Order: sequence, then structure tokens, then C-alpha cells
Amino acid sequence: MSPLLQMRGIVRRFGDLCANDNIDLDVQPGEILGLLGENGSGKSTLMKVLFGMLRADSGSIAFKGKLLDGHTPAEAMAAGIAMIHQHFMLIDAMTVTENVMLGWPEAGRVLRTKEISSRVREASKRFGLYLDPDAQVGALPLGRRQRVEILKAILRNAELLILDEPTSNLAPAEVADLLVILRRLRAERKGIVFITHKLPEVLDVCDNVVVLRLGRVVGRAPVAGASRGQLAEMMIGRDVSAPREVDAAKPPGQARLALRDFSAPGLLPLTFEVRAGEILGVAGVDGNGQFELVESLSGLLPARGGVLELDGRDITRSTVAARMNLGLAYMPADRGQKALVKGMSIAENVMLRDSRRPPYARGPLLTPARAAAKTRALMADYDIRARGPDSIVARLSGGNQQKIVVARELDRGPAVLIAHQAAWGLDPGATRFVLDRMIALRDRGAAIVYVSSELEEVLAISDRVAVMAGGGFAGVMPRSALDMRQIGLWMAGRAA
Amino acid sequence: MSDAAPSLSFATFLQGRRIRLTPGGLFGRICVALLLSMVCAAVLIGLSGHNPFAAFAAIAQGAMGSEHQIGASLNRCTPYLLAGVGVALCFRAGVINIGAEGQIAIGGAGAAAAAFAFADAPPIVAVVAALLGGALAGAAWAGIATAIHLGRRVHEVLATLLLNFVALLLVQQLLAGPLGQFGAGFLQSPLMPRSAWLPRLAGFDAHPGFLIAILAAAAFSFVLWRTPFGFALRVAGSSRLAGAYAGFSLARLTWGAMLIAGALAGLAGGIEVLGVHRRLIEGFSLGFGFKAVTVALLGAIEPLAVTPAALFIGLLESGSLAMQRQIGVPSALITVIEGLTMLFVLAATAGRK
Ligand SMILES: Nc1ncnc2c1ncn2[C@@H]1O[C@H](COP(=O)(O)OP(=O)(O)O)[C@@H](O)[C@H]1O
Ligand SMILES: [Mg+2]
Repeated sequence: MSPLLQMRGIVRRFGDLCANDNIDLDVQPGEILGLLGENGSGKSTLMKVLFGMLRADSGSIAFKGKLLDGHTPAEAMAAGIAMIHQHFMLIDAMTVTENVMLGWPEAGRVLRTKEISSRVREASKRFGLYLDPDAQVGALPLGRRQRVEILKAILRNAELLILDEPTSNLAPAEVADLLVILRRLRAERKGIVFITHKLPEVLDVCDNVVVLRLGRVVGRAPVAGASRGQLAEMMIGRDVSAPREVDAAKPPGQARLALRDFSAPGLLPLTFEVRAGEILGVAGVDGNGQFELVESLSGLLPARGGVLELDGRDITRSTVAARMNLGLAYMPADRGQKALVKGMSIAENVMLRDSRRPPYARGPLLTPARAAAKTRALMADYDIRARGPDSIVARLSGGNQQKIVVARELDRGPAVLIAHQAAWGLDPGATRFVLDRMIALRDRGAAIVYVSSELEEVLAISDRVAVMAGGGFAGVMPRSALDMRQIGLWMAGRAA
Repeated sequence: MSDAAPSLSFATFLQGRRIRLTPGGLFGRICVALLLSMVCAAVLIGLSGHNPFAAFAAIAQGAMGSEHQIGASLNRCTPYLLAGVGVALCFRAGVINIGAEGQIAIGGAGAAAAAFAFADAPPIVAVVAALLGGALAGAAWAGIATAIHLGRRVHEVLATLLLNFVALLLVQQLLAGPLGQFGAGFLQSPLMPRSAWLPRLAGFDAHPGFLIAILAAAAFSFVLWRTPFGFALRVAGSSRLAGAYAGFSLARLTWGAMLIAGALAGLAGGIEVLGVHRRLIEGFSLGFGFKAVTVALLGAIEPLAVTPAALFIGLLESGSLAMQRQIGVPSALITVIEGLTMLFVLAATAGRK
């Protein structure tokens, strides 16, 4: 049987960086191929080359026995390749059916809405997508929108689907649904390239894996028979699967962050303290008040009532800048629009929240040379891979972008850190690195609120674990008395 | 994918970008766009039965043929450049200020009023007071738009645009009343007191406005790229969310950009009144503010780069009458060239990332 896809000797350079170094990749019909590798190892680059978004410097691509050369994404799509982007290319104001018809010749010059709508319904049923053809896309949760993209691919008769980190911003239940859909696609003999950092997903659904490191293939293996540890080791060269035991923290000091009946729009009144040398992990399904909590703590959302204190000072009504000056650091989940200015350089993003302070400014003037030196030091310290401080952030891989946020907020040596999805899009090695840095910060006496929908991450770092549901805390328990069953109940209990 | 979302407009596309002097960069693309628009203009002139090369030669001759013409051209560029720098600053900050038109007119009136008030002062004092009067009046007018925008949440495009019409009517009223010259048969003020006249360079007839404008362009380019305030403007212009997260007060930044832009536009109006007409005339600045927007976009909303853009438009306009006189190509063609240039620049810069 001839493979569906045959990539041979793909080389792609960016300047003197070799993002893909002589890569071979095969996909068979009815195969789910896991493409693994740490951030910046070249996975997205390889897929962009395949989809015609980037040109390879050398190498060949054969799809269904035909050579693709110098193809555009439109030609790739016509040939039967579909790419599910992380940022969906959907129009919010239109229905599912209208989005499917968008830019699709088969929908006819006079749109055959009825017919397409019934095809949407049929395909939705066959692949377990549960999509209402008439639902407005803007009103759908993220997981469903992703399915609209998958549906588009199916109806356009795609035979190979590329999913680049499709699960990194899905809630756990949505991930489970996606994996079911992938299995159905496999049953229909579609080929799938599935990029993820999460090993359980790989073990669950992939047939084979290819592991990249620094642009080269460093491992190929069938998943059957491989263990989590072996795969992780292949990915970053050492076994990190065992979450390092959080050393019993020194007895925490006095309260650094204190909430008393503190509430905000979308956030029920909360009363709790986070002490010096303590990490409070906040778990829970996304959309249960986490965003409102972190934004109102950082001052971006106005409080509705109650009191918020930092080191005993009332900051309930303080501005973002005032809170920052008192030592409050914040890593927002919205990396693209809020935490970073993607069109600006690394140096400008490093100085984003400190632009009036040395070494970035002196009196009324910016000091670009010092800012660049400082940025270079942070890039080395936090392993941010890019050509230099002047590199534009939009061109970096997601993991490297996140490391800029982490470096900036930690480098200030904050008294209190609010972190929301801080390891989002990071590979296991980088996640470990970030968590270790935060633990070090804690050991220097900071108080940390670590909010994430990844339960595993929360458990790996917290001294106490809170679970959010329905806009408030469903419960809090110390790590020493961890009860997974209880946490599960809390998460399910009042969750949306 | 890590790339930013596709840009929605030219202004958002440019925010946060530095000009790079490479053929593939912004600067190169704008040059190509200029070239293309000139080619189109040549074809149009050719189609109308005239020799395009002769027409271009006439424009160049009319714009730079003599000392006097050079001076007149520079005077023409001045308000475009001054107001254009302010507009560019606003656009960088994500504030779409279309109000330069009204701010220039009010600035002219403010300068005239101040000139009359300081009629007996020594020349230096009178000139400075009159120019300050213009800048303050322009800033105040921009301040009204800002207060409406921030206070009542009216979109800044509407607030600034609509106040233009109010400004023009207000200047008319002033000319019909306190600032007017009775019996002139035309809405204009009496001649400014001599002490407030801007000096002119002998032979060239150029007033020092262009110099002031270039200094302003350089100064605000510096502010934009080398000060924390400029940095904050650029961040807020690239993403409001990031600006708020960075701890900047978006309202204060909007006030800052608008007041600066208003002051520059008002100064432009004052210079026009004190340096060119030496009186306030109804409609003395008609279209200047909209030209300032064109010039700002052509200059990639980078204050320094607005300078060549203003020169380009100013020289073109100032040479167009000569072309009409000598070759018979209607000077309205210049408006077509300006329009084409804008279209090409938009296409060249917004089409690709
Ligand atoms: N457009 C680009 N310009 C310059 N370098 C790039 C570009 N895209 C990716 N890179 C670099 O190529 C390497 C591989 O990136 P990428 O394929 O996105 O990695 P992954 O998807 O595995 O995280 C990284 O070092 C990244 O910084
Ligand atoms: Mg990637």
C-alpha cells in the first residue's frame, strides 16, 4: 500500500537557523501520526511547508503519489490536505452552514443553503461533531468552533488533516470529545497529523509518533508498547514524567495577599489569604470565574465589593500601575493581545510594564542599549530562542513567546504573582522550567496564585489547591491532605 | 500559528512598526506605490492628448523653477507637515483623529485674536504670543473632541469629524463679528498688526514655518521612539488590552496625543494666517486637515517620514497650476494623482504582512 503522504528530505532555514533539517515523514491512510517535540523544534514549520504556507529550501512532497511543488494553501486544499489552525478562520456573525459555504465553490454561485445545511447535519452526525447547522459561530465555545473547522475539512473531502496543537486551549471534556472525533476520522481512512505536548493524548489516540528536536527527527516509534516515560525521554532527552515532589514548604509567613468578601462582576465574594512562601493553586474547568478572579486581582477589572490587601495595604481600588509598584506581577492567559504586543520586538515586550524604570529608561528618555543588554541576559537565563532582542515576537514559536512573559514578570522579583495558564503551549521540559522558577520565587518569600485548567500542573506546584466552579471556590484543601476524589467532585459539582 | 491576526486597516497595520530602509520594507513599498501612481498619471495625461513628460516638467518648473516658487512651495507644505505630524502621532496611539481640519481653522482664529491683543507688544513677543494663541486654540478644540469621546463614549472619528463643521462655522461667525473687517464685502479680518507678521526670507518669500514644522517632526519622532511616553502611545495603539495591562492610562494617553495634535494643527493655522495671508480669511485652510491625514498615512505615520510625504503633496499642488497654464492639463488632475497615490500606498502596504 502506498502512503498517503510522503515527505522526503525537507529542509527549511530561517536565516542561519535550520528549522527543518532533512526531515522525512510518511502518513498512511487511516493513521494518526503524533508529531512531537519541544517548543521551537520545527513542527509548525514542517506543517506549514506541507500546507504550502512556507516554501521548503529543498526536499520533496508527494501526496497520493503526486508531487506537490511550490503549491499554495489553496492548491493543498484542492489536493485534499486540510489544516486546522489554532486561530480559527471563522466569521463569528455567521452560522455554521454559512461558514462552511464560505469560499467553497461547491456551495454554488447561488448558495444552496438548504442542501449544504443538510450535508452539515449528516456529516456532523456521522463524525460525532454535534453541530447545529443554524447555530451562530460566535456563540459556540472554543471546542465547537474547532469542530466547525474539522467539518469544513470533511465536507471538502480532505484526506489528510493537520492539527497543530488543537488541544492546547480546550477544556478537558472538549479534549476527550476531540479524540473521539479523531478516531472516527481514522475509521474513515483519513490520515491525520496530530501535534501536541500532552503525552496522555498521544498514548490515547496516536498510532505512531515522530519526534523532532532542533529541526531533526530524533525518534520514530509505534505507540503500542511505548510508555509515557519512553516517549517523554525521546522528546526532551530525559525523563520528566514524574512530577517532582514539591518539597514541603517552609511554614508560610504572614499574609501577603488577602481577600475579604472580595467580589467582581462574574466573581462571587471570596475570602482567602495567600501567605509569604505559599503557592495557592486554582484548578477548575475554564470559564468558572478564573478570568474574573485574576483580572480583578491585577486591577484590570473593577472590584464590585469587599477588600483586597497586598502586604496589609488596601489595593481594592488601586490602578494597575499602583499595584505593580507595590510588587504585584501578573501573567495573563491572553498572550496574543494582552500579555504581549506581537508586532513589537522582544526587548520592547520585556520592558512593556517597566518602561519608565531603569534599565529601560533614565529620567525622561528610553535607554535602548541597556534595554537590549538586559533583554539578552533574560533570553539567556530563560532560554528564549530567537536571533536577538530586536526579533519581532510574532515570529517566535508560542513557547518562546510565553517565556518572554514569564521572564518579564518573574524578573521584577514580585511580592505576589498572579499566573493564569502560565504554561500554556509549553512543552513538558519548558513547563517544568517555569514551575521550578516559580517555586524558587516562592522560596524567596513571594505569594503565588497559580490558576490553570491543567489539574496536573496545579497539583505539581501548589501548597494548597482551590477548585473554582460557578464563579466561586467550590473548596480548598492543603496539598498534604490531597483527596483526588473530592477535587473531582468539586470540579464537576457546580461546574458549568 | 503564531502570526498576528490579519490587519484590519492601514493604520492598525502600521502601528508598532519601524520604518526599515529595505526594498521589501515599508519604505520601499511606498516608493513603488509612488512610482506606480506617477506612471498612471502619465498614462492619464497621455490619454488626454498631452505629453506627460512635458506636464511633469511643467510641474517641476512650477514648484521649484524660481526662488519665489520654491518659497511658495515650502509655505504650502508647512501646514500639511505640521498637522500631519500630529495626526500621525494620534494614529500611532490608535486614536483616529480626523479633526485637523477644524483645529487648523480654530488655530488660525486663535492666532489672529492673540495678534490683535498683543498689537502693541514688541515683534518677538507679539509673534510668539500669536503662535501660542493658535496652538492653544487648536489644542482646546481637540480637547473638546477628546472630552466628548472619552466622556460620552462617542467614537473619536465622529467626534473629531463633526467638530470640523462646527469649527468652520464658528470661524465664519467670528469673522462676521468680533474679528471681522467691516465693509470688506468678504468674510475676512483686518490686516494683522505688523508686529505679529512672520518674517519672510527675501526673494524666496518663504516664512520660517517649514523650519518649525521640520523641527516638530524631528522632535515628535524622537518622542515616539525614545521616550516612555512615546512607547506607551505605540503599545496602546497596537493593542488597547496590552496598554491597560502595561499599566498605562489609556484616557491620559488619548488626551496627550489629541492635545499635541490639536496644538500642532492650531500652530499650522496660525502660521498660515501670520505668514501667508496676514489676515484671517474665511476658508483659508479649506482641505488642509484632510490633506494632513493623507500625508500622515503616506508617511507611514512616522513623524520624520511625514516630511517627504508633505513635500511630495505640497510640491505637486504648487506645480499643478503651472502645468495647467503651460500645457493645458487641468490642475484637478493633481487631485486624481493624490487619490491614486493613496490607493497604491494602501494596496502596497496593507495587502501583505
Ligand atoms: N517566520 C519565521 N522567521 C524566523 N524564524 C522562525 C519563523 N518561524 C519559525 N521560526 C523559528 O524556527 C524554529 C521552529 O519553529 P516552529 O516550527 O514554530 O516550532 P514548533 O512548532 O515545533 O514549536 C524556532 O526556533 C522558531 O523561532
Ligand atoms: Mg508550533
